[in-house]
Amino acid sequence: MNPSSRKKMWTAAVVSAVLMTGAGACGGDGGGEAAGGDKVRITFAYWGSDARQKLTDQVIQKFEEKNPTIDVEGDFSNWDSYYEKIATKVAANDAPDVMSIEIRGLSEYAGRGALADLSGKVPAADLDQQVLTSGQIEGKQYAIPTGVNAFSMIANPSVLEKAKQKLPDDTAWTWDQWIGLAKDISGAGGVTGAEYNPNPAWLQIFAAQRGEKMYDGTKMGVSAETLKAWWSIHQRLIETKGSPDAAKSAEIGATGPEQSLLGTNAGAMGMWWSNQLNALSKSSGQELTLLRMPKAEGASTSGMFLQPAMFYTASAKTEHPAEAAKLIDFLVNDPDAAGILLSDRGLPTNAKVLAAVKDKLPPVDQKTLIFVDQVKSELSPVVAPPKGALQMEDILKRNTEELLFGKATPDQAAEKFLSEANAAIAG
Amino acid sequence: MSASMSDSVSVTPERAPVAQPPSAQPPGRRRRARQVNVHKRREARTAYVFLAPWFIGLFVITVGPILASLYLSFTDYSLLEEAKWVGLDNYDTMFTGDDRFLASLKVTTIYVVVSVPLQLAFALALALALDRGLRGLSFYRSIYYLPSLLGGSVAIAILWRKIFGTDGLVNSVLGLFGVEGTGWVSDPDTALGTLIILHVWTFGAPMVIFLAGLRQIPQNYYEAAAVDGASKLRQFWSITLPLLTPIIFFNLVLEVIKSFQSFTQSFIVSGGFGGPVDSTLFYTLYLYLKGFKSYEMGYAAAMAWVLLLIIAGLTGVNFIASKYWVFYGDTK
Amino acid sequence: MATRSKAAPLLFRPLPRGGRLLKHLLLIGFGLIMLYPLFWMVSSSLKPEELIFREPGLWPREVTLDNYSDGWTALKHTFGYYLWNSAVITGLCVVANLVACSLAAYAFARLDFPLKKLWFALMLGSIMLPHHVTVVPQYIVFAELDWINTIWPLIVPKFLATDAFFIFLMVQFIRTLPRELDEAAAIDGAGYWRIFLQVIIPLCTPALATTGIFTFIWTWNDFFSQNLYLTNSDNLTVAVALRQFLDSSGESSWGPMFAMSIVSLGPIFGFFLAGQKYLIRGMATTGLK
Repeated sequence: MNPSSRKKMWTAAVVSAVLMTGAGACGGDGGGEAAGGDKVRITFAYWGSDARQKLTDQVIQKFEEKNPTIDVEGDFSNWDSYYEKIATKVAANDAPDVMSIEIRGLSEYAGRGALADLSGKVPAADLDQQVLTSGQIEGKQYAIPTGVNAFSMIANPSVLEKAKQKLPDDTAWTWDQWIGLAKDISGAGGVTGAEYNPNPAWLQIFAAQRGEKMYDGTKMGVSAETLKAWWSIHQRLIETKGSPDAAKSAEIGATGPEQSLLGTNAGAMGMWWSNQLNALSKSSGQELTLLRMPKAEGASTSGMFLQPAMFYTASAKTEHPAEAAKLIDFLVNDPDAAGILLSDRGLPTNAKVLAAVKDKLPPVDQKTLIFVDQVKSELSPVVAPPKGALQMEDILKRNTEELLFGKATPDQAAEKFLSEANAAIAG
Repeated sequence: MSASMSDSVSVTPERAPVAQPPSAQPPGRRRRARQVNVHKRREARTAYVFLAPWFIGLFVITVGPILASLYLSFTDYSLLEEAKWVGLDNYDTMFTGDDRFLASLKVTTIYVVVSVPLQLAFALALALALDRGLRGLSFYRSIYYLPSLLGGSVAIAILWRKIFGTDGLVNSVLGLFGVEGTGWVSDPDTALGTLIILHVWTFGAPMVIFLAGLRQIPQNYYEAAAVDGASKLRQFWSITLPLLTPIIFFNLVLEVIKSFQSFTQSFIVSGGFGGPVDSTLFYTLYLYLKGFKSYEMGYAAAMAWVLLLIIAGLTGVNFIASKYWVFYGDTK
Repeated sequence: MATRSKAAPLLFRPLPRGGRLLKHLLLIGFGLIMLYPLFWMVSSSLKPEELIFREPGLWPREVTLDNYSDGWTALKHTFGYYLWNSAVITGLCVVANLVACSLAAYAFARLDFPLKKLWFALMLGSIMLPHHVTVVPQYIVFAELDWINTIWPLIVPKFLATDAFFIFLMVQFIRTLPRELDEAAAIDGAGYWRIFLQVIIPLCTPALATTGIFTFIWTWNDFFSQNLYLTNSDNLTVAVALRQFLDSSGESSWGPMFAMSIVSLGPIFGFFLAGQKYLIRGMATTGLK
């Protein structure tokens, strides 16, 4: 429907609603199935920003061109209310046919029977097989990864230079060196060396470097000692003024990349998902560099991992499983789709598709791609965390803050974190 | 009418609300009694006609979901699977095994107890100041309403940080006096305070209701009082305040209900988790996190019903207390 | 005002010149503090987007309207389209609440009927339950009616007076009116409907204006239900569209968001200005002769 006829529909709605005396007798469907005919209609739910919405509308149009019998309706929501909307629809038996889900929510939805097994329905041979396994739960392929990001250190070389510091050799640096560097940058005046954040991804990397898994089945794999060692990094950063104090850090942590120290040129280093390099570069107006995460003393692995930016999944109750699978296939395997979406949903993991669109990627993405290629051999595999992982960010943040604001000792915080986290994922 | 006028000047809250005892029917006058009955039935019938839309709404839209939520409060319900009956388990857990529940109750209670009286006092004071007696008051009224329009905006989190953040306005002002402030929004000891200020700052709604209430007060009461030589203060205490009591009562009841359900501001300002360290974990925010983040909708429903009981209890107390201080124009 | 000063009651006699100036200064000064966030938002909307957080000062060093032009066209439709959608829904809700709530309020305030107290308690009770736990059952009701992706779930409840807040508001206002007014009309032969339409409604102008203003503002800003029930990208409203500029998981368009937030304040502020004109003294209150 074009805008003007939509407008007419709305005007008609005004008139009819005024006529309607409120008896609720009107069962009008307001255009719900109007576009129907003999077409199959499926809905595709996703979250994001205005930019993503535009791209997605384009890609849907392309898909409809290629599949004239399928009519796809985008169901967009912003991130903060995405899950509540999806959960409501699933609960009301009105689930979208194709849903975007991120890795933390995967076990929740797959484990509770809301998702369809896509094994053999969506061709996945060309996708990165290691990443693909992150969409599996108990051997079933519930989810197809859209693309990948890496959680990494991002630094601003020109700020480092101003503080008379050199970019470190990221293949061999340790957390101690990182803290020292942050301290020296802050000491030079003007900017802050580092900003930390209580992101579970950082803890996961740190734990892997110490030979521990974040999750061990439906229990936490990370030990109290590792937690305390991890928190001591935060504490030492604050003590040496390598990072802002707890209150300011909490304040920054509640905002996005645009308002971070790095994004406002008030800081030199920070840890972010690689897809956030775009936003950071744009808001800082500077050339930023991706670095490997520092390592724990004597670590044998970097602990870093490629995480699917999100997954495409299909509802277990969809009436059109074939069409849903077709849409997902198109989104991950068709160069035409990737040509529109580019890195919007992470860097494509389909090697053929990636080769086809590589040159179209903006410079920042090219940089990320090179970085990912460099570290590829050092990466740890990623598995979908258990049910309840959606709460992990909250639990970790709360207990970290309790410690940093002096409301708990490291021992108390570690004990409380582990009991809360275990309770969250046990259910 | 003139009788009621001169009467009302001396109206005091102590005297007015006393209900008239029902006049006893003179015995033996059946016909008149029947007439009264006919009249009563007609009145009741008319009332139900007036209430017809509301009744349809109540039974079609409102009651069903409310009863459903009551049922769900006795179940283990993840939203994604069928609900399983668990009896009183949810209620039991709430009071015996959930520290965060108790924390959220405490946070919310402090919030309501501090911010509701503050906001109402603020709104009433401004309504009085902006009611009349000065040129350009309608301009000021509009200006003072603007914060309330912003209150629910997406941008409020940032705007609030611009005031109470580490680099915010408050700290800049404090800096002029050589005081070093903290990050008020993100310090667990002060975060709730900033949300209380945010609530007071959005005083527009009760202010407008107070203004509307002031407009309902017949001016000739003041004229009569002025003739009697009553002082301004006297007029305020014996005319404005008593005649405004139904509106004050309305604002009080509604603000208590609304504040207990406060959600958006904490959700937006704290980034969705009620942090730092649960210091802004409002009851409804915790309920929301339980329902939509932990997928324990049964537990959330139980929390909702406990909240309903709390609010209903307080509202009941409010209504009982109102008999002693609220004056209605319709009681004779 | 000055010419009427003799007749004006003591309380509202114009202040002496100095006092008036002082009051103006106080009101302006206080207003400036109250509005600081708004000033900051306006200033941010006029800065080049990348400078908003890098140069957080109140005075923009560089002024541009780019955020407005970008924001207006950033989404699938121009922003005016979403303003129109919001205006339609909001307008209908205002009409609905004015009609349905005043009817119910009159019955509760003035008429006597069986079970009145119970119904009144139920009405108040219906706003005491947090909506988060009724949203799923409610959604099921509307899905059964096949109303998802239509405006019915947003406006039909208003026509059915489910906004108990406003019923209670109007009850309180009607109850401030002396009953002699109704009785006088009844003696003149007026029935309930005539009393309602010709006595109560005109005297309740301030309450109706309040209801209209709040319904408008709250509906305009109501993100939750509009986001849930209007999912098609052609049906979006301002409240939902504004949030599309922000993505806390990725990249946000802060500049356009600030700019369009300012734009979307326009209609509600305009409605407030228009509505507050009706916060007037009814004939009953300016003097019953």
